Amino acid sequence: MDVKITNQDGKTFVTLDGRIDTTNAEKFQQDVSMLMNMNAPDIEIDCKGMTYTSSQGLRIFLMLQKSVMVNGGKMVMRNMNPQVKEVFDITGFSNIITIV
Amino acid sequence: MLMKKRFNPIKDKSGEIIDFLMASPDIPDDETLRFKLRLSIEEAVENVVRYAYDGGIGWLEAGTSLDHDSLILTIELRDAGVPFNPLERKDPDITLSIEDREVGGLGIFLCKKMMDTIDYRYEDGNNVLTMTKKC
Repeated sequence: MDVKITNQDGKTFVTLDGRIDTTNAEKFQQDVSMLMNMNAPDIEIDCKGMTYTSSQGLRIFLMLQKSVMVNGGKMVMRNMNPQVKEVFDITGFSNIITIV
Repeated sequence: MLMKKRFNPIKDKSGEIIDFLMASPDIPDDETLRFKLRLSIEEAVENVVRYAYDGGIGWLEAGTSLDHDSLILTIELRDAGVPFNPLERKDPDITLSIEDREVGGLGIFLCKKMMDTIDYRYEDGNNVLTMTKKC
């Protein structure tokens, strides 16, 4: 899993590439931990390259979404591949995270 | 069982166990199926690696078999850890609002959704989890 984070015009862009699973979830959590401490963040996550996530990844996306809410910000996930989207749908995560 | 291997100890070995099962010739090439199988395998293996043994000191036997007539793939996990039927765990409430959703508890639920059948039995002092999928 490769995570790129850039800031532009007050927005934070995150690009995900690869698989989020039990072998790298801890590192992924560290990679995105800075996003959980931002005041009123405006985060856009490009999921085009994310080929897989298990419950380990879902756990971190939920933590991230909760922190964004608490910090008065917003977050949107884009370009999710159909299989990853199915995992978000089945678990009800599509209802609590904005996916476009 | 055509393909079977015992891993011991299993602490921090989830990736190796998942890769072993996914490399089985019984697992089809189809990408959509492989996604569902990998997810189910990861969640089931994690369940054993994290919770079956105190400190992860113990073994897990992982295997696959394919019935060539019915094309039903079977994945079996066996361990000698604390007797635990993961199917008795209540499914998470997926309709809860974000404030009330808990972080975790989704693993076996995903297995149930991705596989056709999932069964648990306690046999000869072992937990045995069997999952099947038509391929």
